[in-house]
Amino acid sequence: MSHGDVKSTRDTIKSENQQRLSLGRLKADEFGRAVSKIAVAQICESVGFQGFKESALEALTDILVCYLCDLGRNASFHANLAGRTECNLFDITRALEELEASHGFPSASDIGHCLVGSGTVREIIRFVDSEEEIPFAQPVPKFPIVRNRKLIPSFEHMNEKPPGKHIPTWLPAFPDPHTYIHTPMWNERASDPCADKIEQARQRRKAEKALLQLQQRLVCNGSSGTSTSLATDAEKEKVQGGESNPFLAAPLQPGEKDVSQVVSPAKPTDEASKGDHVSMLEAFAPAIEAMKGGPSDGEKLHLPEKRAAVHFKFRAGKKILGEPLDLSLQKKGDRGTTAFLRIEERDDKKRRAEFILRQTTEFPMELNQS
Amino acid sequence: MNHNRQSNDGKHDDDSALSDFLASLMDYTPTIPDELVEHYLAKSGFQCPDVRLIRLVAVATQKFVAEVANDALQHCKARQAAVVKDKREKQQKVISFDACF
Repeated sequence: MSHGDVKSTRDTIKSENQQRLSLGRLKADEFGRAVSKIAVAQICESVGFQGFKESALEALTDILVCYLCDLGRNASFHANLAGRTECNLFDITRALEELEASHGFPSASDIGHCLVGSGTVREIIRFVDSEEEIPFAQPVPKFPIVRNRKLIPSFEHMNEKPPGKHIPTWLPAFPDPHTYIHTPMWNERASDPCADKIEQARQRRKAEKALLQLQQRLVCNGSSGTSTSLATDAEKEKVQGGESNPFLAAPLQPGEKDVSQVVSPAKPTDEASKGDHVSMLEAFAPAIEAMKGGPSDGEKLHLPEKRAAVHFKFRAGKKILGEPLDLSLQKKGDRGTTAFLRIEERDDKKRRAEFILRQTTEFPMELNQS
Repeated sequence: MNHNRQSNDGKHDDDSALSDFLASLMDYTPTIPDELVEHYLAKSGFQCPDVRLIRLVAVATQKFVAEVANDALQHCKARQAAVVKDKREKQQKVISFDACF
């Protein structure tokens, strides 16, 4: 009936038990058994063994646990027999004698003698004197750990009166009625349809006003060098773009500068692509020249030094998006791309302005609602 | 009368021996830890605040297991001696399941 050839030592037992614990399926008393296994292994080592088979170790651990439980049970039985709840030395001695009765111990046949001189105890004394002390290998914490349970407060605790005379106050209180009774819910907010409409109209007016201002600003931009709406922005831009910074200059209006049309690549042939590349460079050459010669030709190109700050109405807190567009362009070091982007941005702005104009003309009744 | 006196003396000797032993138990650390013994004794209804009695139980259990292991060792040795009498090889002393009984 021997188990396979698995020999394990104390260290591997611990790792095995740890593995078993990590599986998550904890059986009752897993920790106690693990500690007992280590103790049994130590005892066997002191006796003279060099290795165990797994099944043998399990069997010995079972023996140890059963012996402990039997001893405790017998001792408590004898104590109860004598009318006590706490066990003493004589209870343990009687229990030991009972367990050893089958094997026999010295002075077993003596009846009516004092238990102090019992053979079992004498043998234990002899054992302690002869055997060397082997303390347990690891420190063992106090177990099982007692968790403090959170109890439901009693009627007294909650200062509540129990709903019936037959219910004493020290019992746990009933749950609150809202947890088990369904009550209808009413919308507490008073709705005023008139005020709601007024509020809606007000918000729409605000939006229209902002759009109109934007449109006006866009119109004014091309004709003259408009200053910023806020003084702080003007100061900031003075500091930043004091020396005619080309990045802070206003975008050019259509028709102000000669720029050749962008030729889209028709077929992916070598000649055509080459041709396209050349034409693209040609197209941007004047723009690049203009950028390079920007500071000297300030008057000629009508580039205002100060750039109007465009305020976008976004929700509060998102200040990053409110930055003027040119500042973001400043971070890009490439001048070529800057020129290209400015042209694109110009077209985009033009489109947006047209859209706003169309909207204001198409829905005049919304404007008049005030 | 003499009989009684003798027994009385014997009792006193035993008493003193036992009390000395219990005192010495506090110095001796049994292999089975106290916490483990307390856990299993509490499970079976044994209630005792005295640490010396816990130690006594631990020592008694250790003695029991050591006896079982010793008997198994004797069995193992006897078995090996019977097998190896021709080869005269030293084998490792390994406890197996059947040797425990």
